[in-house]
Amino acid sequence: MNDLNLPGTQSTPSIFTDARAGLLKMGGDSYPENSFELFGPVLEWVEAYLQQSSAPLRLELELLYLNTSSIKAVMEIFDLLEAAHAEGRDVSVEWYYDRRNERVGELAEEFKEDCTFPFAVIGRE
Amino acid sequence: MNASDLYALRERFNQDRTLLCFNGPTSRSLIEEIGKALKNYLEAEHAHPAEAMDVFSVYIEMIQNIRQYALQRDDAEAAATVVIARGDSGGYVVSVGNLVDAADGDRLVAMIERLAGLDKAALKAEYKTQLRKPRTPGSASGAGLGLIDIARRAREPLQASLSPQGEDGRAFFSLSVAI
Repeated sequence: MNDLNLPGTQSTPSIFTDARAGLLKMGGDSYPENSFELFGPVLEWVEAYLQQSSAPLRLELELLYLNTSSIKAVMEIFDLLEAAHAEGRDVSVEWYYDRRNERVGELAEEFKEDCTFPFAVIGRE
Repeated sequence: MNASDLYALRERFNQDRTLLCFNGPTSRSLIEEIGKALKNYLEAEHAHPAEAMDVFSVYIEMIQNIRQYALQRDDAEAAATVVIARGDSGGYVVSVGNLVDAADGDRLVAMIERLAGLDKAALKAEYKTQLRKPRTPGSASGAGLGLIDIARRAREPLQASLSPQGEDGRAFFSLSVAI
């Protein structure tokens, strides 16, 4: 499987995958004009990983500001996890954020509301 | 513009406690640069991180709606007018406008007036419904989710206005959001 390793820019998050470890990491701001151009390969990677492997998948997120089209794309990633979880797969999300900015915590909590797989929103001091 | 007009313009900006303003064609990189300047100003003013994020987010959603609208109409300029100022009673006011077809403007104003009448819980329900709607490339309904997000961040009901421009069926649409 081809892993992704994209450095972050001002308007796009860093994206890192490790299929052998069953890990997807994303961090930073995300407000590109075309979010699906950015997240398309991530969606493909998640789909391929879930198909080709039966090992767990863990998402480690430190996303900050997401524009609404990024929010929609991230929701689609979580939908893939939700479907895998319904089939008994071991999937989870850990979303770390700085407690000084409660907006990020609120954003993560709103995603969590629609997910039944393990989803931890972890505030850091 | 002559020199004294510029002075009058400056006075007006100062009176309105303007932090940042822009008028003209936009590009992706310009939007990012203005966004970066905005973040720096807000940080220098020690705005609370959540408040700074709300101001930045409203700016991005509004300007990206405008650029999306222009893109659908093969309008490479995507001209916009942006003013970000301090509010009279604290906080910030983000105002953004662009030229639209009057009929599109009417629809936008109606949508915004409807959102302005909803409380936070109703806005959240509306947001979740809109988020679940399938993407329809090239449809003008794309402004929906962004506008709901803006309404959720606003601390006062949204204010929109439409100023007709001559007889070509165009109008200047503007939206003002208090954060």
